[in-house]
Amino acid sequence: MALEMTGSYELPVAREKVWEALNDPEMLKRCIPGCEELERVADNELRALVVAKVGPVKAKFKGKVFLADLDPPAGYRISGEGDGGIAGFAKGGARVDLAETSVGTLLTYTAEAQIGGKLAQLGQRLVAGTAKKTADEFFQNFAAAMTETAG
Amino acid sequence: MNASTVTPIGAPVRRKEDKRFITGKGRYTDDLSRPGQAHAYFLRSPYAHARIRTIDTAAAAEMPGVVGVLTGRDLAQDGLGGLICGWMINSKDGSPMRAGAHPALAVDTVRYVGDHVAVVIAETLNLAKDAAAALAVEYEVLPAVPDLAVAQAQGAAQIHEAAPNNTVFEWELGDRAAVEAAFAQAAHVTEIDIVNNRLAPNPMEPRAAIGEYDAGDEAYTLWTTSQNPHVARLVLSAFVGLAPENKLRVIAPDVGGGFGSKIFIYAEETVCAWAAKKVGRPVKWTCERGEAFLCDAHGRDHVTKGRLALDAQGKILGFQVKTIANMGAYLSTFASCVPTYLYATLLSGQYAIPAIYCEVDAVYTNTAPVDAYRGAGRPEATFLVERIVDKAARELGIDPAEMRRRNFITAFPHQTPVIMCYDAGDYAASLDKALEMADYAGFPARRAEAERRGKLRGIGLSNYIEACGIAPSAAVGSLGAGVGLWESAEVRVNPTGNVEVLTGSHSHGQGHETTFAQLVSARLGIPIDQVTVIHGDTDKVQFGMGTYGSRSGAVGMSAIVKALDKVEAKAKKIAAHILEASEGDIEFKDGRFSVAGTDRGLAFAEVALNAYVAHKFPTSEIEPGLKEGAFYDPTNFTFPAGCHVCELEVDPETGTTEIVNWIAVDDFGTVINPMIVEGQVHGGIAQGVGQALMERVAYDGEGQLVTGSYMDYQMPRAEDFPAFKVGMTETRCPSNPLGMKGCGEAGAIAAPPAVINALADALGTQDISMPATPAKVWAIAQARVTRQAAE
Amino acid sequence: MTHVSMTVNGRAVSADVEPRMLLVQFLREKLLLTGTHVGCDTSQCGACVVQVDGAAVKSCTLLAVQADGCAVLTIEGLAPSGALHPMQEAFREHHGLQCGFCTPGMIMTAMDMVARLGPDLDEATIRENLDGNLCRCTGYHNIVKAVAAGARAMAPASAAAE
Repeated sequence: MALEMTGSYELPVAREKVWEALNDPEMLKRCIPGCEELERVADNELRALVVAKVGPVKAKFKGKVFLADLDPPAGYRISGEGDGGIAGFAKGGARVDLAETSVGTLLTYTAEAQIGGKLAQLGQRLVAGTAKKTADEFFQNFAAAMTETAG
Repeated sequence: MNASTVTPIGAPVRRKEDKRFITGKGRYTDDLSRPGQAHAYFLRSPYAHARIRTIDTAAAAEMPGVVGVLTGRDLAQDGLGGLICGWMINSKDGSPMRAGAHPALAVDTVRYVGDHVAVVIAETLNLAKDAAAALAVEYEVLPAVPDLAVAQAQGAAQIHEAAPNNTVFEWELGDRAAVEAAFAQAAHVTEIDIVNNRLAPNPMEPRAAIGEYDAGDEAYTLWTTSQNPHVARLVLSAFVGLAPENKLRVIAPDVGGGFGSKIFIYAEETVCAWAAKKVGRPVKWTCERGEAFLCDAHGRDHVTKGRLALDAQGKILGFQVKTIANMGAYLSTFASCVPTYLYATLLSGQYAIPAIYCEVDAVYTNTAPVDAYRGAGRPEATFLVERIVDKAARELGIDPAEMRRRNFITAFPHQTPVIMCYDAGDYAASLDKALEMADYAGFPARRAEAERRGKLRGIGLSNYIEACGIAPSAAVGSLGAGVGLWESAEVRVNPTGNVEVLTGSHSHGQGHETTFAQLVSARLGIPIDQVTVIHGDTDKVQFGMGTYGSRSGAVGMSAIVKALDKVEAKAKKIAAHILEASEGDIEFKDGRFSVAGTDRGLAFAEVALNAYVAHKFPTSEIEPGLKEGAFYDPTNFTFPAGCHVCELEVDPETGTTEIVNWIAVDDFGTVINPMIVEGQVHGGIAQGVGQALMERVAYDGEGQLVTGSYMDYQMPRAEDFPAFKVGMTETRCPSNPLGMKGCGEAGAIAAPPAVINALADALGTQDISMPATPAKVWAIAQARVTRQAAE
Repeated sequence: MTHVSMTVNGRAVSADVEPRMLLVQFLREKLLLTGTHVGCDTSQCGACVVQVDGAAVKSCTLLAVQADGCAVLTIEGLAPSGALHPMQEAFREHHGLQCGFCTPGMIMTAMDMVARLGPDLDEATIRENLDGNLCRCTGYHNIVKAVAAGARAMAPASAAAE
């Protein structure tokens, strides 16, 4: 099951600040819904532990997060894949672009997600909603945290 | 008709087995527990196609309560063979089918979502699941080919090295040149494209198994949800190599429905039996419904092009068929015979068709294996024949009933161009009776009335035929079967005159305990409660081929008749000695042996007692005891046939289809118990309607199963049906002693084309695919409304 | 482990259970009342229907601890040993079962239908109220007949109770 989502957020923070935050594991951990652990293991690779729920299936995903196509401070590609054991797997990624605006920064993203195994079997009707909600929550959390920083 | 009476053939005797089921005392496999049993959980592939790089079992093995963690490598190290497909099909060029290996646990590659990666055995199921979550499997994901339409294409990912282009065989049947000649003369050609949708069998009891190993006797016992425990034992012994047959007992206790899906020898049962010795504990596994959707063999899944050549009067001249059949990722136990010898051989339907040619490609995809499901090949054939005949009738402006009548086979025996020799039938009789019961003549008025209510009403016919009672062993052997398809029976008369009947057939809802006992009661003249039917245990019944293909009546009961003949013959000899008469003068009637023309006689029970006491006859001539066995091999298939009529209404505003009337007129030959037979018809119709309107197994582009629960796979419910009207016609089957044909699959075979033909009639288009869901029907109905408005 | 106590088929029972144990597992595995079946894992097939405090409940949707203190009735407790409840008798008489796996749930649902809607049930009502019970064998035809007949047979008893 693959699906795509897009969205954008206006942040009252300078683009460099946003870029820094997007590369800060602590910040990402705070913003990724259900993220219990996130640590950098290489320059552009992080190890993650995320609890996610799709419909009736709740699972702990052990996985990796990769940062690629780095173009500081204009954007990057963040992607991850998690192994949920008997629940199956989840993969996802997002292209994030940062543009300077009069207020601060416009963040736009195009994200995609894919699930397999029991997650797809039981959760397929719910996955679109769940993925959209997860992406929205992440960027909302991120926007809120950024706005806080600005305040 | 109560238990203490003699039950004649043809009586609606209430079922003997019901008492335990309605009081919660049934004994299904999951209801059983063995002392010290541990529980198995299978880790399944979340990918449709992947190489297994590593499986790290260390952490899982250390988890609380874990008894064992086993993988395909352990299985291979123990020298166990893979699962087999027991029917060899040769391609057109004479080459044997190309089957890939089918290990019970994957060794280095997984080929469908749900494929078996490892088994974790623990003190409880929850602990096994907890530990399975700690198994670390590293996959290298490979491109998957879940889509049948592109699986044979150049450049498609290869699923098995043994099968280039994912093609298992390219098979043909019939006379190509004769068919081409027929098309050359045709006044009209009707063409049809059909997708026969993939179905999940869904017996309400999920599969289950308990394996146990007795180290003292070095013998295994496997309790399992099987339709054919002896065949399971044979395969596990001779091919998997688990243990010799004399060291392996397979018991199939009460089984909650099968519909074909419990014929096959699956990975889980095999692993449970093997693992029991490995871990030194009984190992129990019960399939969850979600797992059943993933890995119980699915049914159907054909893509077909059909062409029918007709003369100007609607007489069929020739029929050409090309079918691509989905095998899934591995060849299941009988997968190869379903789209070939159980399909193309029925393409003549009820019609005299001079020339038929059929090509079938069997193709691997990264999906669950596909095998026999209620009807197995015959529903696919009937759907094609009954759809194309109906379409041709409409194209030629002939009434569909009249079209069928013009083409009926009317003289028997009739040799079709596709192997089968129909031995008996009266197709016009079934059609006439069905049309009368359906008030076919009154349909236009009902349609007009419905139209006034804003509903689109349609009527559809289905004149099905099937080949049951599979079949003479030599014949199926010559067609590639790996086994003979006879049946065995043993009739054990006890000294007090009651009887145990041991049968190699297996009942999983069909009511054998009643029907078989009814036959024995009628024949021996003893009350039915003095007859017990025993089945499903390889230690009790010597051998048997199990129940599928509507064979238990025509083949299984024929074996009982044969054994009863022997019992009667021996009992007559004994009676002759006791009554001091000549054997030829002994008559047996109404449970009494008597000397012809006298009032001297003995009750059946008296002869039974004498047989065991053995005081009054010379044991040098007649052995003591009264127990006889028989093996019955049929001389032909049997050919049940009939006519179903579906009348329905479509609501063009919502796309919902309501079946408002259903007529089933079937010719099953002799009927032993009409109550049970009608029940079989009802259930079959429901499954057929499910296929036509609701059910479909769907995979997404990556091979993920997206219809994996009852939330997404629509099962027929009580509200989806009207009360069915069932009628019978009868022509005796000449090839078996009782004249029986078989009734188990008829409804599932007849129903899908009846529904779709009725929808085509209601909607005025032939372009309707199964399942005809409300969304599809709504779109067609709306297009029709728009079209009519424009006209 | 959590301690639960309840009455099952009139008998007081108690046990220590894992908090995640379902009522159906408690009945089948702890009490060995295997007449209540599990046919799915999404609470849709209805093979596991029992009565909890007089109402039909899918015992796979309830944790055992949620039934603490309740009175549970299963198929085994419907009639005294050796006897048949009129609803059970109706399923036998009208051939309302084939493989028998869905039957306990069907009968318990039918009992609930009579309790809620009375003994005079027409075909449409029965079909609608069987929505939560799946059967793959019978095509429902004879189940509908059995429920109607069983309900009628229960009429004198319910009239006397009023």
